[in-house]
Amino acid sequence: MSIDAAGLVGDVGRHVPAYSSALRPRPSDELAEWGGPALVLGKRVLDLGCGDGRFALGVAAFAANVEGLDPDEKGIAAAKKAARKAGARNVRFGVGAAQRLPHPDGAFDVVILSWTL
Amino acid sequence: MVHALREVHRVLAPGGILIDARPDSRVAAYAERRKRRGFQRFGVVNTSRRELTNDRASDCAIARAVHEGMFKRRRRGRFWHGVPFGSLAELRKYLWEHLRFVRRARWVVDEATRTRYANEPFVIRRAVRYEILERATR
Repeated sequence: MSIDAAGLVGDVGRHVPAYSSALRPRPSDELAEWGGPALVLGKRVLDLGCGDGRFALGVAAFAANVEGLDPDEKGIAAAKKAARKAGARNVRFGVGAAQRLPHPDGAFDVVILSWTL
Repeated sequence: MVHALREVHRVLAPGGILIDARPDSRVAAYAERRKRRGFQRFGVVNTSRRELTNDRASDCAIARAVHEGMFKRRRRGRFWHGVPFGSLAELRKYLWEHLRFVRRARWVVDEATRTRYANEPFVIRRAVRYEILERATR
């Protein structure tokens, strides 16, 4: 699903590096505030603006599968590394922008814009 | 942003859920000293003008997507989140470098108090808001 980010970031979307993701609430805390794990349980989840994948990996234990997308190549590289380290098999990360999603219609049950819009 | 929401609408299955969560710039954040029990408020931290503008644009994009019938509002809420710092100097450095906030807090304690507790743990307590929207079936 990885697509060429250079062409996308230059003309659409606002590229915000994910350097501050460690200063955000823990994924479990945020999910609890939204209504708990039931919100993503067994669902196909897209985390738009996933940064270093912190949130996507945080909900992976509950979801059927999770895709993370972000225009920040460094963030995605860190996310892939973290996914390998965590042994998460149902998570994929790719570089891309929210304005041109490389997914078919109706591909997800839940889309998360966590600190993205 | 509306383009992104149109794409979200496209890739969501009918009845699917969109969760929009971000810092709540409509209320101030607070710089607080962590005490053995509770916190002592040291200052108020306002959101930068640029981020206020961005947040308003995001609100408008969501409102437009709802108005166009792409999504239905289901639920919204707000919670408070503390960003920890080891000292007042660390907190100030964060404010100076972080784009979301103005660069300096508006202190509500005097300088002597700030100096006295400068090496104690601090937090910036800020509001995070979220909204859960459902993809309209059309």
